[in-house]
Amino acid sequence: MPEVLHPRDAVSPVPLTAHGVTLRAGAMRESVSLAAFRGQADTLRAFVGKEFDVDLPDTPRSVENADGITFIWAGPNQWLLRAAPGTDLLTRLSPCAAFAALTAQGDSRTALELRGPGARAIAAKLVPVDLHPRAFAAGDVALTLAGHIAVILRQVDDTPCYEFLVFRSLAQSLHHELHTAMLGGIPQADRIS
Amino acid sequence: MRLNCPCCGPRGLEEFTYRGDATVRRPESPTAPAQDWVDYVYLRDNPAGPHRELWYHGAGCRSWLVVTRDTRTHAISDVVRAVDVARADKEGAGS
Repeated sequence: MPEVLHPRDAVSPVPLTAHGVTLRAGAMRESVSLAAFRGQADTLRAFVGKEFDVDLPDTPRSVENADGITFIWAGPNQWLLRAAPGTDLLTRLSPCAAFAALTAQGDSRTALELRGPGARAIAAKLVPVDLHPRAFAAGDVALTLAGHIAVILRQVDDTPCYEFLVFRSLAQSLHHELHTAMLGGIPQADRIS
Repeated sequence: MRLNCPCCGPRGLEEFTYRGDATVRRPESPTAPAQDWVDYVYLRDNPAGPHRELWYHGAGCRSWLVVTRDTRTHAISDVVRAVDVARADKEGAGS
């Protein structure tokens, strides 16, 4: 009898907490990347604006529309869309195929969420961008490295909560790195009084 | 060393890859004299002073950048997207 293949979680689904910071795997979401063909960015913007009632961000930011679809800047004229399962993003986006490249990314990216008052200090151990609230606020996005792992980093809210979008095959490593950083505690310089 | 990426803001060197001289231009015609091809493929200036060079922001926005760097001090005076330089070149050639 052939072995049945079972879907496996990219990382342990059990949330880990240390020093008031919680690390958990983000909920499964539909993901589609959107990249405008040369000279077609304005057409794409107009379509998305009309279909989803949202302005695609031109700077490293993310915006959410009324339906809870997140539009994440992912490079010049490129975006990553994330939505709850069942939204059927690809069908809604199919008219874009004439002026943009559409790629389903649901299997490619895993979300890791770091949440808690000390999350900024823990994230800052791995990420070489300034996460001070003056420089990086809720909704801001950075394409960068966490350790040596390429991530799309997004601040979800002011708890603070950070979402690391990482390639699935590297999710386990990043999860381990983040957990190790959490166990190291909040550096004295970052202690919140 | 940090480069101020026009898309992402200031980032550390570990996010970038160096490609080389940004001033060389491919000869227009495949039948251009052999010397032009030798210049394009092999010959590079080695200036002591400001130098325009190509960098790739592979761990960030994946843009090619033209960086103006002083080879004596590593001072970066300008970073622009290579696509904008190419577009300006094309417009310059067309006029």
